[in-house]
Amino acid sequence: MREAVVSFKDFSFKYKHQQEATLHDINLDIYRGEKILILGPSGCGKSTLANCINGLIPFSYPGTITGSLTVAGLQTQQSSLFELSKHVGTVQQDSDAQFVGLSVGEDIAFSLENQSMPRSEMLPIVDEAARIVDMERFLTHPPFDLSGGQKQKVALAGILHDAEEILLFDEPLASLDPAMGMTAVDLIDKIHKESGKTIIIIEHRLEDVLYRHVDRILLINDGRIVKDCTPDEMLYSGVLKIYGVREPLYIAALENAGVRFEEGEHLDDIEKIDIDRYRDAVLSEFARSKPYTVGEKGKVVVEVENVDFQYNPDHKVLENVSLTIREGEKLAIVGKNGAGKSTLAKLLCGIIRPISGTIRINGENYLSMSIKEIGQLIGYVMQNPNQMLVKDMIMDEITLALQLNEFPEELIKQRAEETLKMTGLYPMRNWPVSALSYGQKKRVTIASILALQPDVIILDEPTAGQDYRHYTEIMRFLDDLNKNYGKTIVFITHDMHLAIEYTDRALVFADGKLIADDFVYKVLSDKDIIERANLKETSLVLLARKVGLDPEEFIRHFIEREREERENG
Amino acid sequence: MDSFGKRLFIALTPGKTFLDRLQGKTKIRLFFAFILILVATWDMRILFPILIISIIGLISIKPEWKTVRGLTIFTLLMNLFNLFLIWVVSPNYGYSQVGATTVLVRFTETYILSAETLWYFLVRLTKFMATFFVSLTFIQCITPSEMAAGLYGVGIPYKISTVVSLAFRYIPEIARDFNEIKISMQARGLELDSRKSSLITRLKQNVLILVPLIIVSFDRVGNIADAMDLRGYGRMKTRTYYAEHELTKGDRIINIVNVLLYAGFIAIVVVRIVSHREFLIWAPWVK
Amino acid sequence: MAKKILGNWNTRTIVGVAIGVALFGVLMVYGGVKVFTNTSLTSAYVVVAVVAALFGPVPAAITAGLGNVLADLIGGWGFWFDWSLGNLVLGFFTGLGCVLGSNVKEGVFNTKSAITYALFVLIGCGLGFGVVTPVLTYFFYSSELTITWGQVTAAIISDGLVLLVVGIPLLIALANRNKKFTGLSKD
Repeated sequence: MREAVVSFKDFSFKYKHQQEATLHDINLDIYRGEKILILGPSGCGKSTLANCINGLIPFSYPGTITGSLTVAGLQTQQSSLFELSKHVGTVQQDSDAQFVGLSVGEDIAFSLENQSMPRSEMLPIVDEAARIVDMERFLTHPPFDLSGGQKQKVALAGILHDAEEILLFDEPLASLDPAMGMTAVDLIDKIHKESGKTIIIIEHRLEDVLYRHVDRILLINDGRIVKDCTPDEMLYSGVLKIYGVREPLYIAALENAGVRFEEGEHLDDIEKIDIDRYRDAVLSEFARSKPYTVGEKGKVVVEVENVDFQYNPDHKVLENVSLTIREGEKLAIVGKNGAGKSTLAKLLCGIIRPISGTIRINGENYLSMSIKEIGQLIGYVMQNPNQMLVKDMIMDEITLALQLNEFPEELIKQRAEETLKMTGLYPMRNWPVSALSYGQKKRVTIASILALQPDVIILDEPTAGQDYRHYTEIMRFLDDLNKNYGKTIVFITHDMHLAIEYTDRALVFADGKLIADDFVYKVLSDKDIIERANLKETSLVLLARKVGLDPEEFIRHFIEREREERENG
Repeated sequence: MDSFGKRLFIALTPGKTFLDRLQGKTKIRLFFAFILILVATWDMRILFPILIISIIGLISIKPEWKTVRGLTIFTLLMNLFNLFLIWVVSPNYGYSQVGATTVLVRFTETYILSAETLWYFLVRLTKFMATFFVSLTFIQCITPSEMAAGLYGVGIPYKISTVVSLAFRYIPEIARDFNEIKISMQARGLELDSRKSSLITRLKQNVLILVPLIIVSFDRVGNIADAMDLRGYGRMKTRTYYAEHELTKGDRIINIVNVLLYAGFIAIVVVRIVSHREFLIWAPWVK
Repeated sequence: MAKKILGNWNTRTIVGVAIGVALFGVLMVYGGVKVFTNTSLTSAYVVVAVVAALFGPVPAAITAGLGNVLADLIGGWGFWFDWSLGNLVLGFFTGLGCVLGSNVKEGVFNTKSAITYALFVLIGCGLGFGVVTPVLTYFFYSSELTITWGQVTAAIISDGLVLLVVGIPLLIALANRNKKFTGLSKD
């Protein structure tokens, strides 16, 4: 008989300061050596579930537990955080916050230091852990030199040597670009196979996790397990969409073509699907549907011409970049970390200025304008809304920029009202900011920028860390601003779904150079660009090849179909 | 990291010179020995050799000369200016410290320049510059991790040394947030360098940057603390440090030096108490 | 009460103090408001008030003391016990002022809180820079005190000003963030 290492029995949990329980009646056994994916929308309780397993609940987050939870033979309530940490290792979502050491080696050694292990015993263990995650050449590097993916590898190395039985990953892909995400999933798989430890992954990016085999998927909603089955059964059941979890793109495309899968069919990997059976359906859907076309765009708003930028003389951050942005466009700036994406955004906002080359806004060279003047033409929305929110009340937040720019009282009132209506915040205008959800806060920050009525809005990773439902809410809102008010919208992102579904054009950066400036569907079917920019080939390309269609055209049709569906609700 | 990294005079990776390669603990003991002696004594016969030693120490670690030069000039000028102010306020200050007045130049009835005042200034300058060079050498040859490990090694509770290393860990990220928030407020119309608005207005405008900065910074606390708890932080009464290497020959030598220095410090204090000089400062020509 | 003053020294508090010290250092270097050339009012001191409000007076005192040492060290201008200890005292009293009349964590900071806070800031300034620093300066450096008095007065005015003019609005803003809202309706 298989041995359960984690066993929930009629388990419920309510946080101390909350009225309602977050987890209800959980009955779940996770067996030794299993690899499990826990799915569910934000706020469904999946992170709470993870924190129950690693002991943060109840030891750091007090609350009321009913029922029982046994982890590696320990009743968690009678155990301690330290005792549990010997059995469960956790890699958290925020790879930056959990890197507490000042070098890679130190961070890997952190738990050993806490056990008071003599340094001589520590060294070989640290070296071995670093080797497993392929970071042994970076042992002396400080965290500031590392990418998100590297930090996460370090986090993993830091628990590998300690946790004897269970490795828990809380949204490991959230801050990684597509290629790094693939590497992470690969690494987890390798460790699972080599160590035989139990792996629990919490994610909402299903398709990315399914890049490597998973034994079982749990779907959680409203604090309850709503489905507990194999990946194939999960995909076959079609329940994911109901709970706001994104299906893999190839599944969506096949379903669009009216395909009905068979029970017991292998669906978790496109390579295992017998595409021949579905070829006709896909081809006829392709013939029936329209390709996505980008409408005529307005006048040129921003022109970037041969721009170079560098922070220090020996390293160019941007090299000979030229591009134009037209009124009413929606475009994505993509590329790996450090490729120059955010530098371009900073240049456009005038925070830094080009070393050589020119930038023109509405035909005028922007060197003569101050940051404040540029701010009225190009608005910049930071990733984390808390970085921008200053005032207690929504109304004050929105009028702040107008007041700082010393607009007359009349105009401030009028502009604020327009902005509130545009952004759907009017009914909440007198609410305190602290009462808002993350998505609503994001909306307020966008509104606070919109109040100045800029032509272009640049958003840095607007959907980072958001589940599909919240993500859709934010993106639809931006889509409306674009469609109804003609705002030009520029996204800086590493999320390819976002680029596919919500933008017309992609600017792809690699090593400081603009390596592609084209329709999204073209960029995404170009293998060379995908590799250079750390992107990932979408499964749509593979599907298209298998049925014998041009990937570019296939993606184009897929985009159109998705947009139509979105518009029809 | 860009601009702030350069302003951070502490190096994150250990250097290769003799002082660099000592244990954190040894460096901290050595630093405090010098600082204590520098605080305790006003005797030029002790201060001057320490000044020379501290300069040799600084040279031995091969620091970045541009920064060192700038800082040295700045510190020197500040000290000279302070001395000038002392002279302006009490022109015969040397008498109260040395116990004699040998007039060198008489400007007016009260404004004189005496040899004793000059001597006091020289002693004081030596004392302060030596303190400066000792501090600079210390900060340039220790990494924050060694500092944390060393503080624990000399008996400071490890919870305090964690504060030190964590602070260094998050300084660059907070500096980055600070810059980004400032710029985003400027884009919304905040004018920071305007000379038009009053001091109070400018202070109030500062709140516009501080509110988000403080909220974003303290938002991290929960995640960081969880990450530490999950890896057993605070589990035991003692702790070891990956950054604190084993005792080397250099450490043994310096530890002997340290013992001598602390003995010297005690001797200085005892002599000061026992001899009970009427005037603080020894000068070669004053009996 | 003892816990209220000492603070609960768990991992969270240690991290909070560390973040406070880091913020203090960053603001010391960057966050100045230029008064004249080379003289600036630093907003770093408000961090102490925030740490006090979130974690208590002793953590606040340590933030002020260590923050000052660290700022001295990374600023490269040496090491001044006398001022660091003065700051420690100011930090402690600022902390008391934040804990006795208000509860920022639960969203409470009213007029009475502001008055209590202001009173303790003034006591802290007076004791820290008016007594501790000059005594230590005299003891350690046998300095001509006239100049120290000048520096002390400048420190009391500037830090007091920052702690009051920037600190109070900031504490109010933080308290408002932590308020629980119920019964909001759209209109």
